[in-house]
Amino acid sequence: MEEQKGKKEQGRERWGSKIGIILAVSGSAIGLGNFLRFPVQAANNGGGVFMIPYFISLLLLGIPLMWMEWTLGRFGGVRGHGTAPGIFDVIAKKKWVKYLGVLGVFGPLVIFIYYTYIESWLLAYSFFAVAGKYSSCTNQESMKSFLAGFQGIAPNEHFQGMGIAYIFFVITFILNMIVVYKGISGGIEKFCNIAVPTLLLCGIILLIRTITLGAPDPAKPDWNFINGLGFLWNPRFEELKNAKIWLAAAGQIFFTLSVGIGVILTYSSYLTKKDDVTASGLSSASANEFAEVILGGTIVIPAAYAFLGPVGTAEVAQSGAFNLGFVTMPFISLKMQFGWFLAFIWFLLLFLAGITSSISLLQPAVSFLEDEFSLTRKKAVWLLGIVLFVLCQFPVFFLAQGVVDELDFWGGTFALVLFGTIETVMFSYVFGIDKAWEEMHEGAIIKIPGFYKFIMKYITPIFLFTILIFWFIQDGLPIILMKNVCKANYHYILFTRIGLIILFVSIAVLVKIAWKNKKRKVL
Amino acid sequence: MNTGGYIFITVAWVTILILLIFSFVKILKK
Repeated sequence: MEEQKGKKEQGRERWGSKIGIILAVSGSAIGLGNFLRFPVQAANNGGGVFMIPYFISLLLLGIPLMWMEWTLGRFGGVRGHGTAPGIFDVIAKKKWVKYLGVLGVFGPLVIFIYYTYIESWLLAYSFFAVAGKYSSCTNQESMKSFLAGFQGIAPNEHFQGMGIAYIFFVITFILNMIVVYKGISGGIEKFCNIAVPTLLLCGIILLIRTITLGAPDPAKPDWNFINGLGFLWNPRFEELKNAKIWLAAAGQIFFTLSVGIGVILTYSSYLTKKDDVTASGLSSASANEFAEVILGGTIVIPAAYAFLGPVGTAEVAQSGAFNLGFVTMPFISLKMQFGWFLAFIWFLLLFLAGITSSISLLQPAVSFLEDEFSLTRKKAVWLLGIVLFVLCQFPVFFLAQGVVDELDFWGGTFALVLFGTIETVMFSYVFGIDKAWEEMHEGAIIKIPGFYKFIMKYITPIFLFTILIFWFIQDGLPIILMKNVCKANYHYILFTRIGLIILFVSIAVLVKIAWKNKKRKVL
Repeated sequence: MNTGGYIFITVAWVTILILLIFSFVKILKK
């Protein structure tokens, strides 16, 4: 890519450098899931053999989807559209198709609404680590109680209310807005150029510390790093026959690469027609895998094993990714020399992983307002900032009532899998695989092997449909029917769903208005 | 960690590092 330093071309901003967009897409993909969800999924689904369906999914689902989104995004951006409604409209030329693209603006917004709050806890915990705020917690139960007090769920000796949590939420929210306000190359790119290398450096520091842990308790020599690595990586071949681990691996690949959300479409829409998408897509996927498998697969579980042993680690892995990050990791840091510093590095790493993702979640809505309503970026960010700040209050104040889980289901799972499926159909069948293949190789640095044409046309869509159906039956249906919602939370969940419908319909109405206005201008 | 564990972690790390180095070298050479 030519050095453009954010110059505008055809009224749209551009990335300042090739490496800038790769770091921004990598930053978007690298999130909490790389360091927390992946090791838990691998440990609970066959250990080392989890990597067999994982790599198959990466090659057949993750990387093809990455290339598709990069290609569609650049195609749309050159024609003045940075989000799915406009891109789909250009491709399909049918009035109703642009409404399928609403999911590509809706999904990221819904995720942003709850994700920013969780991200703010990480910023808060990095301060707590340095200040020694949780140093009096002597076991995991007291660490859980510390978290519940901070969240305002159960006031205790550490926190009387959620005031501190709210201050950190406001700081995090404003930080996100400032980065996006400053623009593509002046804000997002500059920020990711610093944040992504810093988070990788934090990961490498923690990796080295974990490798050099040895056996921290001389009385228990078996509780060591190598056995901890074995806990995660020793293969359990008999589990490979279980469909559950194939589904878990495909799901992990899908969620970790940030495909199916709509953010890569938007980021790549700021490329020029001659910019590469093949090597760039592959490098951002590889950077994400480095963070996930090499860093994420070597830090938390082996560290937990060295301090908690096989039984304690199994319990932690079963209790989920969230517990591992906010309870186990700060707890074991208290048992280490300079633990406060390591905990600070840990939470800084997660915070940077979080914020580089959340700014990418904001960008589709900003692009939508800029491209389709001709708003200036500043106006778009102000408008969006006010609306989102109001919407963010719901997960903040109704966390204990299950609002975050509900938003995560609809925005972070349902919309994602559905939108990913729509994208593959749009790419291979509506755009047409031959035309799409040609478009993908425009300015390409690497030529994609020809068999990928077959994979993108048949295997990836079938794979996605299969995930969609299995996931719908296994997890989706019970959640949609509110099978696991307790009576006390029923109305909160119902209210959240009504709110989501209003949000979705509002975006669809905005699409209708935008196209009506354009038609009027043409006439 | 048993032999299977060593094999899986080695193959996973090497595959990812090859993909990472290959793609970045291609981009930087251009």
